Amino acid sequence: MDFSQTAERISLKFSQKGQSVDTKKIEAKLRRLIEEFGVQPAEAERSVTNELAKEFNLPGIGTGGGGAGKPGERENRSIADVTPGEWVTIEGKVVAILSPVSPSIAQSGIIADTTGAIRFVVWAKANAPEMRQDAWYRIESAVIDEFKGVANLKIHSGTSVKPIVEDRALIPSILKVGELKPGIGSVRVKVVQEWETTHERMLQSGIVGDESGTVKFVIWKEPGKERLKVGAVYTIFYALVDEFNARLSLNLSTATYMQDEGDITVSGGDSNVRGAVVHIAPGSGLIKRCPVEGCNRALSRQNYCPVHEIQPGFVYDLRIKGWLDDGEKTYNILLQREVVESLTGINLNAAKELAENNPLGMDEVFLRMRDTILGRYIICRGREIDNRLLVRTCERVKMDTGEHTALLNRAGGAP
Amino acid sequence: MSNGGTPAQGRKEGGFEREPARRVFAGELRECRHQFREGDDEKSPTFVLLPTGERSNRVFLVGTLTEKQRKGEQNIFYRGRVVDPTGTFFVMAGSYQPEAMQQLAKIETPAFVGVVGKPNLYQTPDGAYLVSVRVESVTIVDRETRDLWMLDTARATLDRIDAMAQGLTPDAARVKEHYPALDPAMFRKMVYEALAQIKI
Repeated sequence: MDFSQTAERISLKFSQKGQSVDTKKIEAKLRRLIEEFGVQPAEAERSVTNELAKEFNLPGIGTGGGGAGKPGERENRSIADVTPGEWVTIEGKVVAILSPVSPSIAQSGIIADTTGAIRFVVWAKANAPEMRQDAWYRIESAVIDEFKGVANLKIHSGTSVKPIVEDRALIPSILKVGELKPGIGSVRVKVVQEWETTHERMLQSGIVGDESGTVKFVIWKEPGKERLKVGAVYTIFYALVDEFNARLSLNLSTATYMQDEGDITVSGGDSNVRGAVVHIAPGSGLIKRCPVEGCNRALSRQNYCPVHEIQPGFVYDLRIKGWLDDGEKTYNILLQREVVESLTGINLNAAKELAENNPLGMDEVFLRMRDTILGRYIICRGREIDNRLLVRTCERVKMDTGEHTALLNRAGGAP
Repeated sequence: MSNGGTPAQGRKEGGFEREPARRVFAGELRECRHQFREGDDEKSPTFVLLPTGERSNRVFLVGTLTEKQRKGEQNIFYRGRVVDPTGTFFVMAGSYQPEAMQQLAKIETPAFVGVVGKPNLYQTPDGAYLVSVRVESVTIVDRETRDLWMLDTARATLDRIDAMAQGLTPDAARVKEHYPALDPAMFRKMVYEALAQIKI
């Protein structure tokens, strides 16, 4: 049996109080209690912690042998204040239940109080009563752990979970997108854009934002989950905030969201990039879209929609996906129909005609558009998200004689 | 876009960022003598070190395609020469770049072309160096695009020279090691002469 994790946890508690304890020593104590004396692991942990607390004269740390409890430990804590490594008692409302990802986990979800919310995990071995969504519980002696940089409340065999009667109104504090941290977050945002789903279990993904910034979101297919409408404002309670490659994303699987009145001016809406078009991606040009209300996904050549299957009644559209490069940075650009029409001079009707009267069909439109804009200098204005640029307007760069003169002076002038 | 910038620092651990296409005149690209790989992975990008102090994994160039040749028996590939006012770019497209190869096959010389591609440094048996650009895409462009590219490339080259003079380039040590005798003034002169050829 491995005691290093438990020892680490105990050691951390004391190091937070300024006492360093050799984890090897703690491990030895634990091993002796558990292996020689058959003490339950949770009880052994408690006992070793208490022994050390007595030794260092730190009464706040001990956990009061098996139930009686010292006031400090049994006192309710605010969810907002807990830190990894602590043993805590909290009272809160289960605001979300997730489907468990592993057989060793009985339940997981989010529990919230008036100060904040935290993810919880109930180990299958904990034998804890099953918790219900929207019910209040008092959870005693749970451990705050850290998993992938996010604080987590672990309910183990030494934790007691009791339903309590509570009817406090729980209004989560709404954060700005720019203030989000990995964990749980509630935001009021506008849906900026939706992306084509890349996975069959995915219901929707895209970008939401407010005045302070933008963030990617994802909704997985689960009963009762609805898609967000692009351009609408939503209040989202208790979304999971995940971090990947130093970028945050919102997972709405746990969240409650409702459409809201009003509008939000989303930040980053006015970027201006001048560069050369260095690549036009497949899927540009004339495309077919799924006609099902609210879907609008691009169909494959066989008119296949990833969600609604074969759709012979498709709708034609124009778009260009590609890369715009200013020599320092490369932007993934997405041009919608109006922008494509004004930049290439080919409108939707002309494109349809080209496709119908040409042996190459829709490819002909792609090739013509490619030959018109690939390798050309353009200026794109629009919203920048990471290195994506959602282009609102776009024009060709014109030769500027003033720039020519300035550069001649610069090349010839300086030493 | 103000100075030589931070190509390497922008790369996030584990994340993918497309390498930007550097603007470089033929007269500078042919002076490259050092190529290196960033990281140990097989898929890690390789860079040629431009003598003005910046690494380049990809280039965007515009010039006149003056000559093209079909080569190879089994594995057909195309070679071409693209000329700018400072010199000649050697470009090639093989069966691994089928679209670029078909494009190159189709274009009739002479024509202004815009080329996006990856530079590679080779050494011939007699010790001479050759930089060849493996084409990712090539299209026919107009004279205005060529002129815009000249301005863009002039500015980028001057930016790199200035950044190196101020010690702002992240590859300063590499430049010292591999181009010890190089005088940036010659590239400034090259830029001036190139600009002087644009007729407005």
